[in-house]
Amino acid sequence: MVRRRRRASKAFKITYLALVLAFLYVPIAIMIALSFNASVSRAEWTGFTLDWYRKLFHSEAIISALKVTLEVAVLATAASTVLGTLGAIGMYSMKKGWATILTNVSYLPMTTPDIVTGVSLMLMFVFMKIPLGKGTMLMAHIAFDTPYVLFSVMPRLQQMNPNLYEAALDLGCHPLKALYKVILPEVMPGVVTGALLAFTMSLDDFVISYFTSSTDQNLSMIVYSAARRGVEPTMYALSTLMFLCILMLLLVVNRRSRLEDMSN
Amino acid sequence: MVQDTRLIELKGISKSFGDTQVLHNIDLYIRKCEFITLLGPSGCGKTTLLRIIGGFEMPDEGSVLFEGADMLPVPPYKRRINTVFQKYALFSHLNVFDNIAFGLNLKEPEALGVKTRRQKKEEIARRVNRMLRLVKMEGYEKRSIDQLSGGQQQRIAIARALVNEPEVLLLDEPLGALDLKLRKEMQVELKAMQQQLGITFIYVTHDQEEALTMSDTVVVLNGGRIQQIGEPKRIYDEPKNAFVADFIGESNILSGVMKEDCLVEMLGVEFQCVDEGFGKDEPVDVVVRPEDIMIVGTDVGMLTGVVESVIFKGVHYEMMVNTGTMRWKVHSTTMQPVGSRVGMSIVPFNIHIMRKEA
Repeated sequence: MVRRRRRASKAFKITYLALVLAFLYVPIAIMIALSFNASVSRAEWTGFTLDWYRKLFHSEAIISALKVTLEVAVLATAASTVLGTLGAIGMYSMKKGWATILTNVSYLPMTTPDIVTGVSLMLMFVFMKIPLGKGTMLMAHIAFDTPYVLFSVMPRLQQMNPNLYEAALDLGCHPLKALYKVILPEVMPGVVTGALLAFTMSLDDFVISYFTSSTDQNLSMIVYSAARRGVEPTMYALSTLMFLCILMLLLVVNRRSRLEDMSN
Repeated sequence: MVQDTRLIELKGISKSFGDTQVLHNIDLYIRKCEFITLLGPSGCGKTTLLRIIGGFEMPDEGSVLFEGADMLPVPPYKRRINTVFQKYALFSHLNVFDNIAFGLNLKEPEALGVKTRRQKKEEIARRVNRMLRLVKMEGYEKRSIDQLSGGQQQRIAIARALVNEPEVLLLDEPLGALDLKLRKEMQVELKAMQQQLGITFIYVTHDQEEALTMSDTVVVLNGGRIQQIGEPKRIYDEPKNAFVADFIGESNILSGVMKEDCLVEMLGVEFQCVDEGFGKDEPVDVVVRPEDIMIVGTDVGMLTGVVESVIFKGVHYEMMVNTGTMRWKVHSTTMQPVGSRVGMSIVPFNIHIMRKEA
């Protein structure tokens, strides 16, 4: 009796898990499969082909969108890594009350819906009469990337022996020198994780980029505008590549944080 | 060994954190080559005092003089003082060699007595290796900090500070994380190093035995106030008040009244003592160390009582003896069975009279 109930509950658990995973990943799997389908039709499989991928790399629009995406992602990552790291160190050395307020203020952009961030940034740029293009997209990306770096570096600082900075001073370092000779190396794993996260966020952003740039398009925006004209299998190919890139980046980030947890 | 010149002088140091005042008007001087220990329970202000000397904390009031010159405006990185921090604070991104060389690398070649960068490198290697020999860690140069045990990290932290040849070494409970046996070994080694190098050590601990073992001078702190300053033996033998007596070693503390010079009455019995200069009938605190009470026959004892408990402590037995008016802690190498009636005798020299704390 008990055993049967246990078996039933186990079966239920497995079914439930399978359903959840299917719900999440079957659409992506279908998309990936279709990207290799020789037919343009979604309804029939007429054979395996890499044509759509070939076509992808011959499309000028896509190549230029790829350039925009990478350019913005690299620059935004660099800027937000510097800003976020310095911000974290600043907040760490602040009085507790202020630091708590600032921490919450910095959390907000991460939880605000992208559409709100996007619209509000667009309004600001328009108000300041800055033409919406690659520059504004970059600024927007720096804005939403920075908290990710901040919150990757912060825990490293909090785990750090508080005497390290003083030890550096004690041995003859000026405060600034102590910062880059001791504090930075000490929090470096957090900085790298933060940079990777920021890069990932920047790569796959659509909503905020859509609102803050009109002249230049990144890859997500290309997929969106193509989809409005009727989806072509090249877009499946492009989405598949983007999905794989992001997946790999996230795997690296997760592995890093797991290693870090283990070393603590 | 200890020279008469005052190296560091603290005058009227007060410090508060928020609403709590942690140091009250501290006056203290530290002589050249002295091994001085700031001793007290946690929260007594000893670490704050050390941090003020190191330059990591500013006092609210008072001054700190170094060889007569005001030291407070001097930032920590310019003081001729190095610190061994409580949890070592070693740099985990550097190996053992680079940790020790950290301070020397920051110096100009001239400061190390050489001219070129290359000579500086050689000179640093020479000095680091000498330090590794001193702390008995040769061959560990390339090890990473995470690969070292607590005791080894401790040695590297000491080497990292000493290699800079500071005038003063500050040590903040440096042996706190080590096990008892290692701690005892390190106490002996630290004291030997201090004498060999002729450097002033300012040592913070809550361990009274550690303080008595190593120090030239012990400063007992409680509640942010200095309770007593003196040589270890003096502090142990002549505690100035009940707090010091209780904190340093074990003691029986009781109230008494001075009948006249060299005569004190406690528990209704008059005892000969050696203290003079108290007022007639002045109430006092009396301290008797457990090892100073002799167990004698009930017929000759000054006090008689019943043994309530016996604990074997290794070298001696610790017995609680109830005299009806007081439970005495007695240390003796001979054991008296529980329940037996014993006499106790105390020679006048071993009765310490202290003024009552206001």
